[in-house]
Amino acid sequence: MSVPAPHVEASDGESASGRKRDAPVVKFDIRHLDFFYGEHRALKDINLQLADRAVTAFIGPSGCGKSTLLRILNRMYALYPGQRATGEALLDGENILQPGVDVTSLRFRVGMVFQKPTPFPMSVFDNVAFGLRLARRMPRAELAVQVERALRDAAIWDEVKDKLHEDGRGLSGGQQQRLCIARTIALQPEVILLDEPTAALDPISTLRIEETLQGLCSKYCIIIVTHNLQQAARISSTTAFMYMGELVEAGPTERIFTSPQQRRTDDYVTGRFG
Amino acid sequence: MIEGHIARAFDGALLALHLKIVEMGGLALDQAREAVRAYEEWSLQAATRVMEREHRVNAYDREIDREQLTLIARRQPVGSDLRIIIAMSKMVGELERVGDEAKKIARVVIDDTGRPPGATSRDAVHLGKLAQDLLRMALDAVDRLDFALAAKVIPGDRELDAEYAAGLRRLLTRAMENPRGFEVTVQAAFVLKSLERIGDHARNLARHVLSMQARF
Repeated sequence: MSVPAPHVEASDGESASGRKRDAPVVKFDIRHLDFFYGEHRALKDINLQLADRAVTAFIGPSGCGKSTLLRILNRMYALYPGQRATGEALLDGENILQPGVDVTSLRFRVGMVFQKPTPFPMSVFDNVAFGLRLARRMPRAELAVQVERALRDAAIWDEVKDKLHEDGRGLSGGQQQRLCIARTIALQPEVILLDEPTAALDPISTLRIEETLQGLCSKYCIIIVTHNLQQAARISSTTAFMYMGELVEAGPTERIFTSPQQRRTDDYVTGRFG
Repeated sequence: MIEGHIARAFDGALLALHLKIVEMGGLALDQAREAVRAYEEWSLQAATRVMEREHRVNAYDREIDREQLTLIARRQPVGSDLRIIIAMSKMVGELERVGDEAKKIARVVIDDTGRPPGATSRDAVHLGKLAQDLLRMALDAVDRLDFALAAKVIPGDRELDAEYAAGLRRLLTRAMENPRGFEVTVQAAFVLKSLERIGDHARNLARHVLSMQARF
């Protein structure tokens, strides 16, 4: 089947008057990206720019490649044999797919939060301090400042400030997930990847996470994979729709959810297939 | 365009909504037809019938409004579904106003301020026919979601506007020739205006159909 070229449009561009509005800074520039699980080509010629200080949502049916694309952005796939990516994924102009890239440094810059909260079996404080201690030595006082900053940014400080030394696994699911976000942002990454971060949470916890992400998007490039279309509509400024390893359409979220330019996008968001 | 959802119940709800709007459109068209007949024949019976049926138009308005709110709350429509539901909501508003215009015409007959002379009546009947034809065409476009037909309604309304302006000029000329029928002339001008407004609502209905069109 021939595949039409995806419609890709940045969420901000020229205004009607022709003057540039504050054009978004491109954090990730993905060019002609293919990905292979062994012989299987899971991503097909993906071209997409991801804006800094904004939330981009990847949507699409199961198996469409959205999580695969996310995991390329911090080279998570490199943990598994037989998986390879070709093309380019430029982070601030540097191709992270090149063999010489220091993957550990990359993962400090590109943090990740998973579907199920994964607190370490240690205190709330140590959960957040864990990565910081790995990254560099720092005095206890500074460590405490950094932990508090991360917990505040993750909008969980008020809820845990009196139980910093209790086991992180004792928190509610929503709190655990925000703890994981705090753990990620403690390292002051530039990009935060979230793979269905609220799939295992109740609606109120979901809203709290979304509110947290909204607060964080002024500082970070946030990329979220979600099966919850309403969530993509609520929190992202750009939405990318993927189907069978292809990027079908990417553009301003309000357009994707009101007047998409591709029939397949409309059929998906209106629940006609998937 | 409406069908094809994985959730078949959503298909059913949207189709039911569409059907109800078509039914409401049929009633609004009949109200317009009956009002023009009442004015032409100076029939108190026809005018009373229009007034009595007005509550049914309003009942459709309320019922469809409630169903749309439920649909939005339960299904949270996006994309073409959202455009369809919003367009349908606006259509209901247009049809409700067609009903209002029909009621205004009927009220003129019921108030019985004086039967218009033949020439005035003929102008109203002519304009009424154009307005009904336009409304019927718009309602066919709504029924079949026919974008090509909807596009034809818009120039038709411009023709009706021109006929309205000409009819109003003739009416004023006759009024100057015979100032004694002043109140009848004023009422006739309101009737012509109502018919012109029905044409506008038909045009708006067509525009709402066109707004459902996808960009792909």
